[in-house]
Amino acid sequence: MKNILVMTWFTLREALARKVFLFFLGISAIVIIVLAIITSLTDTSSILSNIGNISSSNNINAAGNLSALGSIVTMFEIVIINSVANLGLLLAIFSSASFVPVMLEKGNIDLLLSKPISRAQLLWGKYTGGIFVVLINIAFLIIGVWFIVSIKFSYWNFAVLWSILLITFAFATLNAVIVLFGVITKSSILGMMSAYFIYLILSPFLLAVKDRMIPFIENKVLLSVLDGFYYFIPKTSEIFGKDIYNLAFGTNIDSQPIITSFLFIFLIMILSVEIFKRKDF
Amino acid sequence: MNSIETNNLTKIYTSSFGKRNVQALTDLSLSVDGGSIFGLLGPNGAGKTTLIKILLGITFPTSGRANILNEDISNYKVKSKVGYLPENHKYPSYLTGGNVLKFFGKLNGLEGNSFEKKIDELLELVKLSNWKKTKVKAYSKGMMQRLGLAQTLINDPELIFLDEPTDGVDPIGRKEIRDILLDLKSKSKTIFLNSHLLSEVELITDRVGILNKGKLLREGTVKEFTEKKEEYTINIQDDFPPDALAGLKKEFNFLKINPGSYTVKVTDVEELNRVIDFTRNKGILIKEIIPQKSTLEEMFISLIQASEKEGNK
Repeated sequence: MKNILVMTWFTLREALARKVFLFFLGISAIVIIVLAIITSLTDTSSILSNIGNISSSNNINAAGNLSALGSIVTMFEIVIINSVANLGLLLAIFSSASFVPVMLEKGNIDLLLSKPISRAQLLWGKYTGGIFVVLINIAFLIIGVWFIVSIKFSYWNFAVLWSILLITFAFATLNAVIVLFGVITKSSILGMMSAYFIYLILSPFLLAVKDRMIPFIENKVLLSVLDGFYYFIPKTSEIFGKDIYNLAFGTNIDSQPIITSFLFIFLIMILSVEIFKRKDF
Repeated sequence: MNSIETNNLTKIYTSSFGKRNVQALTDLSLSVDGGSIFGLLGPNGAGKTTLIKILLGITFPTSGRANILNEDISNYKVKSKVGYLPENHKYPSYLTGGNVLKFFGKLNGLEGNSFEKKIDELLELVKLSNWKKTKVKAYSKGMMQRLGLAQTLINDPELIFLDEPTDGVDPIGRKEIRDILLDLKSKSKTIFLNSHLLSEVELITDRVGILNKGKLLREGTVKEFTEKKEEYTINIQDDFPPDALAGLKKEFNFLKINPGSYTVKVTDVEELNRVIDFTRNKGILIKEIIPQKSTLEEMFISLIQASEKEGNK
């Protein structure tokens, strides 16, 4: 465990040495500052009275367990967080894709493997290091946005902070894919492309199939294949969409996407470690 | 006690599609005594680095067994007592010299005040104290090599593997590294050295192995390698008169003559004494009898050439 922590800590340092993570941190800081300026220049009393009027005239319904004000504030927070976190995740994939390939470079891996650390510990350390970097970046962004919006509207929805863990978890699923391809190919390109493919195309596509297209598919083989794919592939779209929304609004979340995505991480990491254990360097 | 022991170690590298196999090591059996310096010599591609990598679990053997410090090489925990300086090692460019030592020390489970002190001592030893807080990307090749040596010693290892340790280091730096290695030997550390610099190996090693195309051609002490058996140069006071010289050439296996000396090859000590008697009987005074030696380099080249000829047959 100690070895994993050492590797995690030094992966964090490696990430900080790369400009992409600082770039993401910079973007988050700009978003927070701009938001602070805009909200300070905005007269909230008129907004709040409008919300009161709208709410009393039943033009807007409270969502989940929240009041009309809570719903609007929470939705506002989620929209900002989702847009910047999406960009952040794209940058995080780009930057962390090279963690494992760099570790496997000649002259680097020789030194690491000559130390009293198992190959499994090395790989898990790199994996968790990448996740911690994203956790720090995402936490900075979300806490910043949430704090400013909450102060302005004097409405504190702590459930919004769950999105820190959910977004980090979505990255953890993609990071497992990056690690696997990094170990197999010693290159960052395939891992990065696979992560982007899952995040931007496959996961939204399979969610759309499940939600909208399944009733129209008659071929049972195709249905089973799509179903199998749906349950196997990490559900970043659902985690980013429904799960964040439901947690923030205090409604029950569907645990299936989280459980199956967690199993995906476990399976892919076990596979990565087993391949890594057998590799000659 | 042996610090390293290998039994019939074989390594075959297979290409991705199995089209081309490379036999890096063939049935290599070797043992290295604890507290000694062992030099492994061989041309490029002989299998020297592969052997170290197998011993450290970086590469896996195709067959055979190996132990280091009486533990099977598959036990990664034994590496807490091992130091390794690879050829062309890389350190993260964003780390300072001090942080590099900290990182690898932590991977060895080191921490606390004594660890911090150890870092300072090692940087002092390799003359990099003033560079402790400088990022390694600013280091020269020689400085990287010295930092590498400090990294190798961070856990006070019992067994040290060095792959071309003086590569890129200037002559003074080389001498300093040699002195460090001899000091480590005096502290009963075992050193396994891969090097192209035969003259250096000759200066510090106790035993030497010569590897070519994955096969251990010969192993022995430096003395055994360099001694030319039964070949002597005899320094004399006056030159031989022509008739005595003709007699010497006729009687003995005469190799060469220079003003004031001649060299003969004899079969045993008795024949050497007959040469001396012959010389003395001619009234020539003998000043010195010097057993002839070859350099490790000469021996190395002749062994490799013989092995290449054997391979071509």
